[in-house]
Amino acid sequence: MKRNWREGFSRRELLKTSAGLGAGVALNGLLPSTAARAAGPDLNMWWWGEQELPGLKAVVDDAVKSYTAASVKPMLQDTAVVISQFQTAAAAGEAPDIQFLWNGIYHMESVWLGYLQPLEGLVSDQVIKDSSPTLLSRFGGKTYRVGWYALPMIWIYNKDLYDKAGLDADKAPATWDEFLAACEKLKSAGIAPLGGGIQDGYWGEWYFGHAIAQNVDSAGEVIGLFTGERDFREPKYHEHWVKLEELKKAGFLNADMSSTELYPGIDLIPAGKIAAGQSVGARVPKDSEMTKGRIGTMVMPVYGKGKLAGKPIFDSQGLGIPTKAKNPKDAAAFLEYLQSPEQLKLLHDKTGWIPANTNFDLSVITDPVVVDMWKRWGQSENIPYLANLVPGQFYEQALLPSAQQVVEGKITGEEAGELAYKVAKEWRDFNPDIVENYKKWSTDLGG
Amino acid sequence: MNHSARFVPYLYVAPLVALLLFVFGYPLVRIFEFSFKMVRGIDGPWIGWRNYDLVLSQPLFWESVQHNMLLLVAVPFMVGWSLLIAVVLYERLKGWKLYRVVLFLPYILAIPIIAVIMKKIFQFNGPVNEVLRWLSLDFLALDWIGSSDVALWTVMMLIIWRESALGIILFLARLLSLDESLIESAKLEGASWWQRLWYVIVPQMKVVIEFYVVTSVITILSAVFSYVFMIGGGRGGPGTSTMVVELYIFNALIRTSLPGIASAVSVMLFLVSLLLIVPLFAVRRRANEEEMG
Repeated sequence: MKRNWREGFSRRELLKTSAGLGAGVALNGLLPSTAARAAGPDLNMWWWGEQELPGLKAVVDDAVKSYTAASVKPMLQDTAVVISQFQTAAAAGEAPDIQFLWNGIYHMESVWLGYLQPLEGLVSDQVIKDSSPTLLSRFGGKTYRVGWYALPMIWIYNKDLYDKAGLDADKAPATWDEFLAACEKLKSAGIAPLGGGIQDGYWGEWYFGHAIAQNVDSAGEVIGLFTGERDFREPKYHEHWVKLEELKKAGFLNADMSSTELYPGIDLIPAGKIAAGQSVGARVPKDSEMTKGRIGTMVMPVYGKGKLAGKPIFDSQGLGIPTKAKNPKDAAAFLEYLQSPEQLKLLHDKTGWIPANTNFDLSVITDPVVVDMWKRWGQSENIPYLANLVPGQFYEQALLPSAQQVVEGKITGEEAGELAYKVAKEWRDFNPDIVENYKKWSTDLGG
Repeated sequence: MNHSARFVPYLYVAPLVALLLFVFGYPLVRIFEFSFKMVRGIDGPWIGWRNYDLVLSQPLFWESVQHNMLLLVAVPFMVGWSLLIAVVLYERLKGWKLYRVVLFLPYILAIPIIAVIMKKIFQFNGPVNEVLRWLSLDFLALDWIGSSDVALWTVMMLIIWRESALGIILFLARLLSLDESLIESAKLEGASWWQRLWYVIVPQMKVVIEFYVVTSVITILSAVFSYVFMIGGGRGGPGTSTMVVELYIFNALIRTSLPGIASAVSVMLFLVSLLLIVPLFAVRRRANEEEMG
C-alpha cells in the first residue's frame, strides 16, 4: 500500500472543498445524478486513488459521464476502510460491481475468502495482459485485477549533488561497491548520501521491497519465508537489514531520518539536502520539473546474487469484479472501456501520470526524465513489488519496526532477521487458515 | 399507588434503555462472541479460548501493556501540576482569568492538532533542538520522536500538558467553592502558604482529587490512542516503543485482519476499565454524601 505522495492541504483548499461539498450535497437532491442519465444497468463502483493521485476523481467522473452502456455510480472510499468496507459488504452479499484493489495480499485475502471472481472469460485476455496487473494478481492460474494506473518503484538521486561531489551524474552507481564509493565521496563533500524519512515506517516497506529481491530467484521464494519453508535467520534472507546497518554505521543516512516522515523525506532529495533515496514513479514528473531535469532514476545498487537482483520494480493499482457483483459482464465491459486509448489519454491529461497499459502512447509525455523512466520500468523486463506479499501482521510487527530500529541504530541487521523469524512464526500461529493459501500462492509465483 | 402506576416510570425510560442496549449492548455481546471465534470477514468458527491464549503469549501484547503502565507515571505529575497551578490561580494573580483560559486551551483543541504541532516542534532538527543547540545544550537535543528510548516520554509529556488542563479547571472550580474563612483563620494563626495548602486546602479537595485520579487512570489505560497514533507515526514507533493496548487492538482489527484477536483484547481492556469504574462510582457517591452533609 502506498501513501499520498502529494502532501499538504491548505486552509484555502479546505474552505474550497467544504464549500464544494456543501454545494454538492445541496445539488445532489435537486439534480439527477450523472449516472442516472445513462441507459443500461446500474453499476456500483467503489474506488480509491484520489488520495494518491490527485485528478483521478475527474478521470472517473468523465469516464462515467461518457460511458453509455451502463449507469456507473462511483463511490470514493476512505483509505482506512478500502479493504474492510469491501469485505464486510461482500460477506453480506452487498458487494459493488467494481472494486478498487491494491496489489498482492491486499486483495488476495479477498480472493481466498471467495469475494472476488477471476477475470478470465469476463474481461478480454488482451486487455488483462496490456493493463499490467502484475504477477501478484494471479492465484490458481487466474487473474483477479485489471491494472489501472502504474506505480514504478524507484530510487532517485540529485544530479547536482552528484556533480558537486565530483561524481558522474549521468551514470548512477549500479553495484553496491560503486554505491558505497559514491557515498564516501558525497559524505566527504558534506552531503548526506542516502536517506529520507522513516518516522511513519513506510520507508522500511519500500526498502524491503527493493532489497529482498536481491537474494531471491522468484516471488514465491519470498512467500516461503512466511510459510516457514525458508528462514529469515539465514544470512541471505536478512542481508538487506545488514546492508542498512552498514549504511547507518558509516554515517551515510541523514541524521533526522528517524524523526522525518516518508514524503517530507523524499522532498529533501529534489531540495538538494540528501543525495539519493527511494521514491515512486508518480513523483518523478514533479521532481524533474522542480530540479529542471536534474533528477536521475536508478534501481537499487546490486549486492545480491538472486535472479531478481537489479531489475526494475513495477507495480500497479487495479480494479476487480466481486463474486456477488449484480452485473459482472457489464462491469467487465466498463473495465475494458477504461483501457480504451481515449480513456488512457484522459487519465494522463487529468492526473499528469501514466496509466497501467503497455499500449499507452508515450508521445504525449514531453519530459525526457519521465520517458526514460517509463521505458526502463514500464516497458522493459521488470519484477513485481515483493513487499506486497508481506502478511499484515508481519508488516506491522516486524517489517516496519525492524527498519526503524536498524536506522536508529538500536538493533543489528542480524537481530532484525531474528525478529522477522519470530514474527513470521507468530503469524502462522495466528493465521493457520491463511498459511495454506499462502503455500498455494507460492506455487503460482514460482516458489 | 396502584399496581399499574408503579410501572409507569419504567415505561417512560424503556425506549431509552432499549436504544442504549441496541447501541452499546449488542456490540458488546458481539465482541464477547467474536473473542471466541476465528473471524474472517464478518464471522468465523468457534475456537474457544485460543485468541486469548495467542494474545497472552505474545511479547508485543505485554510490551503494549507495559507501555500503558509506564504512562501511568504521568498521573501523579498531572495531579501535582494541576493542583499547583490551580492554587496559584486561586491566589488571584493579576490576569488570572486570562491565564485560566490559556491553560485550558490545550484541552479544547483536538489531540491530532496538538500532536501534529508537537511533532514538528520535537523533530530532530525542529525548534526545540535548535534552541537547545543555540544555548550550547547539545547533549539535551534528543531525537524526541525518532528514538525508541525517548519517544514514550515525549508522548507522556504531551499527555501531562494536555490532560492537566482538565485537572486545573476542576481543582480551581472546587477551590472557588471552598469556605474562605477556614483559610483566613489558618493565615491568622500563622500557617505558612505550604501549611495552608497541605493542611487546609488539600483535605477539602480530597474528593475532586480522587475523582481526577481515577478518570486520569482510565484515560491512560484506554484513551491515549490519538496521542500515540500521532506521535508514533501511526504505528506505535519507532520500533514498537510507543505501542499501547488501544493501538494493538486497532492494528489487529484494521491492519492485520484479525477481528477475533482485536475482540479478545477489547474484552480484557473492557473488564479492566470496569474494575476501575467501581472506585470512580464510590468516589462520586462519597462526594454526594459529603454535599448532602
